[in-house]
Amino acid sequence: MTDTDTDTEHDAEQGDGPGPTAGRGIEEASAVVAEVVENVERVIVGHHEEVEHIMTGLLGRGHILLEDVPGVGKTMLARAVAESFDGTFKRVQFTPDLLPSDVTGVNVYNQKTNDFEFRPGPIFGNVVLGDEINRAPPKTQSALLEAMEEEQVTVDGETHTVPDPFTVIATQNTVEGDRAYDLPLAEVDRFMKKLHLGYPEEDEEAELLGRVVGHHPIEDLGAVTTLADLSAARKTAASVTVASQVREYATRLAGYTREHAAIGVSPRGSIALLRAAQGRAVLDGRDYVIPDDVQTEAEVVLAHRIRADADHTGQGLVADALERVPVE
Amino acid sequence: MSRGSGQDRAAADRRATLLGRAAARLWSSRVLALTGVAGLLFSFLSLLYGVVSVTGGQAPFLALVAATALVAVPVSRRLRVRTVAWLALSLLVGGLVVYLLSLPETPTPGPLVASALELLTGRSVYRIRQTELWVLTVTPGPVFLTVYLALREWYASAVAAGGLMLGFLVLTGDAEATIALLGVVSGAAAIGFGDFARTADTTTPGTETRGAEAGVDQGRRTLLMELAGMVVVSQAVDLFPTGEATPLSLTGGGDRTVEASLLTADSELEVLGSISLSPEVRFTVEAPVTTYWRVGSYDFYTGDGWVRDGNERPYSSRLSSPPGPTATVTQAYTVESELSVMPAAWRPVSVGESAAPVTRVTEAGGLQPATAFGDGDTYTVTSEVPRPDATRLASAGTDYPDRVVRRYTQLPADTPDRVAERTARLTAEAENPYETARTVEAWLEENRAYSLSVDRPEGNIADAFLFEMEQGYCTYYATTMTTMLRTQGVPARLTVGYTPGEPAGGNRRVVRGYDSHAWVEVYFPDTGWVRFDPTPAAPRREAEQQRLSQARANEEENVEPDRTPTPTTASPDETNGSDDTTADTPTVTVGVDVDDLRPETPTPEGSGGGFELPDPPSREELLLGLVVVAGAAAGLRQTGLSRRVSLWARDRFGDDADPETDIERAFTRLELALEDEHRAREPGETVRAYLEAIDAGPRPRRLAAIRERARYRGEVTDDLAAEARTLLADIRQTPAGDSEADGEDGQ
Repeated sequence: MTDTDTDTEHDAEQGDGPGPTAGRGIEEASAVVAEVVENVERVIVGHHEEVEHIMTGLLGRGHILLEDVPGVGKTMLARAVAESFDGTFKRVQFTPDLLPSDVTGVNVYNQKTNDFEFRPGPIFGNVVLGDEINRAPPKTQSALLEAMEEEQVTVDGETHTVPDPFTVIATQNTVEGDRAYDLPLAEVDRFMKKLHLGYPEEDEEAELLGRVVGHHPIEDLGAVTTLADLSAARKTAASVTVASQVREYATRLAGYTREHAAIGVSPRGSIALLRAAQGRAVLDGRDYVIPDDVQTEAEVVLAHRIRADADHTGQGLVADALERVPVE
Repeated sequence: MSRGSGQDRAAADRRATLLGRAAARLWSSRVLALTGVAGLLFSFLSLLYGVVSVTGGQAPFLALVAATALVAVPVSRRLRVRTVAWLALSLLVGGLVVYLLSLPETPTPGPLVASALELLTGRSVYRIRQTELWVLTVTPGPVFLTVYLALREWYASAVAAGGLMLGFLVLTGDAEATIALLGVVSGAAAIGFGDFARTADTTTPGTETRGAEAGVDQGRRTLLMELAGMVVVSQAVDLFPTGEATPLSLTGGGDRTVEASLLTADSELEVLGSISLSPEVRFTVEAPVTTYWRVGSYDFYTGDGWVRDGNERPYSSRLSSPPGPTATVTQAYTVESELSVMPAAWRPVSVGESAAPVTRVTEAGGLQPATAFGDGDTYTVTSEVPRPDATRLASAGTDYPDRVVRRYTQLPADTPDRVAERTARLTAEAENPYETARTVEAWLEENRAYSLSVDRPEGNIADAFLFEMEQGYCTYYATTMTTMLRTQGVPARLTVGYTPGEPAGGNRRVVRGYDSHAWVEVYFPDTGWVRFDPTPAAPRREAEQQRLSQARANEEENVEPDRTPTPTTASPDETNGSDDTTADTPTVTVGVDVDDLRPETPTPEGSGGGFELPDPPSREELLLGLVVVAGAAAGLRQTGLSRRVSLWARDRFGDDADPETDIERAFTRLELALEDEHRAREPGETVRAYLEAIDAGPRPRRLAAIRERARYRGEVTDDLAAEARTLLADIRQTPAGDSEADGEDGQ
């Protein structure tokens, strides 16, 4: 899928009027999302908000970073989402000795044809789960990140396009500080959202134990929707109306973070915010974005792009921005 | 349709954005804080300007201030605070060193510390030697530091730097209340707004300030209201006269007595507006001749008041007597009420033994008690009263000592030329300083009416009395005559004291509060200081008598001397003829006219002030007024009144708008209605969240939904606009308990 760029322009132009064919598409897209959410929640207890965030991220053609301590279900969540589609699901376990070619694939010599042929790596999937991404050295990380940004992979000077749709859900541990290669801000920026799962509530954990002890439900989880549906839903999301007032609101939010932090939200961040908001509108069955959508998405989309000073965290600054930047 | 209205909307948005941006820039915390700093700078710089303008150094002063500020601007971007703090300190210290070195005789540390202490306890900066040079050397440091710190957004420190200077001027007593208030209000504004600017406001210049948060906005408005409150309350408090408090010029003159205005032991004499009389007995004196009982003189004229220069020394031995013929007069004083001055006939040469240890001698040759005399104290003074005849004075010539010329022909540099011109015309016939003095004295006596009810003029007192006022009391007469003589190069000074008082049998005279008086002393070579009194005597005597009989009728306290039999009511004429120095001038023991008796006993004939238009406000009053207006506006805004008024006006007079505007208007009014009933929507709160939070009824929700779709989806039809209007009308009809009613018929 190489038409990402034209797609971007398309939805920018789409900005002002209502999408004429949007009505029907919205319902369908909304139904797709609802099915996936329902499916995922058979496995995942609690974390309803995070599941929704992943879905709006998928609709907005974004990649997701899940960050937390080990054992709270990051991988399980990512798997559950991936398994809900009938596309290819690939998983890469990042380790300190993982090489870039282990991710992208290699050219191997075929004796029959007397030629090199490309053997694709795990990156070539519709949904790619990058597990513990911060344990691999930067060189390997950047192979994944290039694929995320360019939607293509270059091996020995040859360019290979990744499948469409293509979504990376990566996880990252917050422990093991000295043995990890933390993603630099420039690369974290490539992820549309960074989510924290957190520990489950007491009753949720009890239910979780009841479900998974014995036979784990993930084994039975099947696809509930097709890749074609996902692609269609993405197109619908891209056609959701973003009024000028909403665009200005997003700009002001970004502006606020730039004024109050060492490094604020980049334009890439504002674009991601509006795309996520479009996904949120679809989730809510609307064909236009309202400031509420922007507010709901703001923290997970913006916070990880901010290098705050000693007094603030990224989250705190975004919360300040939401409180102080007037909604018009 | 939606495309067209979208373009209209975009254009309208752009207009609104431009306007909003301009307003936001003005309203930004930083601008307000800098305005506060500017106000503070203005307050103490205008004081210093007033000081230098007396001696004529305005141009270098203004140039210096401008240069300092100009240097501070680029420096604020480059240098670090620590560097600048040292720089400012060395500016100040260096300035003081330059000042001390350029004094004719470099003072020793002891007196230096003493005079610094005196300055901090109310000694006017006018009394600093070479005031102008002092101002020029001392000003750059604080100005530089204040501007620098303000631009670095260290507002509190900037205010501290400027406030220190203003505080110093307040302590020296040079800052009048209005200007001190302006400084304080400005400082508070700078710190308050500066706080907002540092914490929440957008601080980078040139960035869009539309993101200024409404919370801060509200804070700023509240602060403005508080500042306005500071001004209003301080003014209101001043409306209640309290003792001898200095009245603020904002509210005009107070009810001080002549005596209080003249005869404090203070080094300054402020010219006031209306004043009143006290019939209380101050002292009795036994002396073979009647003369004025002199208390002290003032040499330095500031345009709106007088300052006394020089130090006092303890009385140790007999003082020198004046040259020329004199008469030796020994006076025995019995003090009848607390007296912080030491009246004596000019020129005192020796003090009786009982009082000698507590007597101090001023540089001008007057006496001053080290501590106030109490009721019953007595002292004796021997004076050599000059008795020159007119011929001697007329032929005295103009060979004045340099010291006398320097000190006693000083005038404020801003004295208008017309004073000199008119004096020159009046005295064109005069052939010598004596005739000049006589002419001026006679002219004032004949051409100005005597009254205690006076609206204190702005600016130069002498100029105002000469050209604008028609009446005044002794201080005005004496100030004007001194100024007029000085314009002609005749050394003169303002002298205060008591007139001879009322005969009480034998050589005794009773001197009351209303006998306090101001007159003029003119210097003649080989004779010394000779008294002239330009205040007309005729209207006073009657009034004085009236006031006394009235006081007696009312059985006021302290009207009679304690230790003498009640004197027979004296004929006013007896006080006449007390003239001993300028024998042929109609000088009289001028007490005070009794037109104005408000503080003691209101009488039908009291209050002869008449009605006059109030003076136009001064610059400081204008600035303070501006703060009040801004605060009131902020208050109005706070109550939402202005928004309502503009909405009402649009309802009433506005033209029909397109459906989109209609919907937006209906929604704005809905928000107002909800604001009344519940609370206002927070700046970062979306409409949906707000409606949820206040648990709005279905009709408000429907209207909000119409507006939401119109605004964010571009879905606008005439029908929707009509529905919005109808919904609004319904909501308005059931304003209170609206959600309940809606709950019933809505679901």
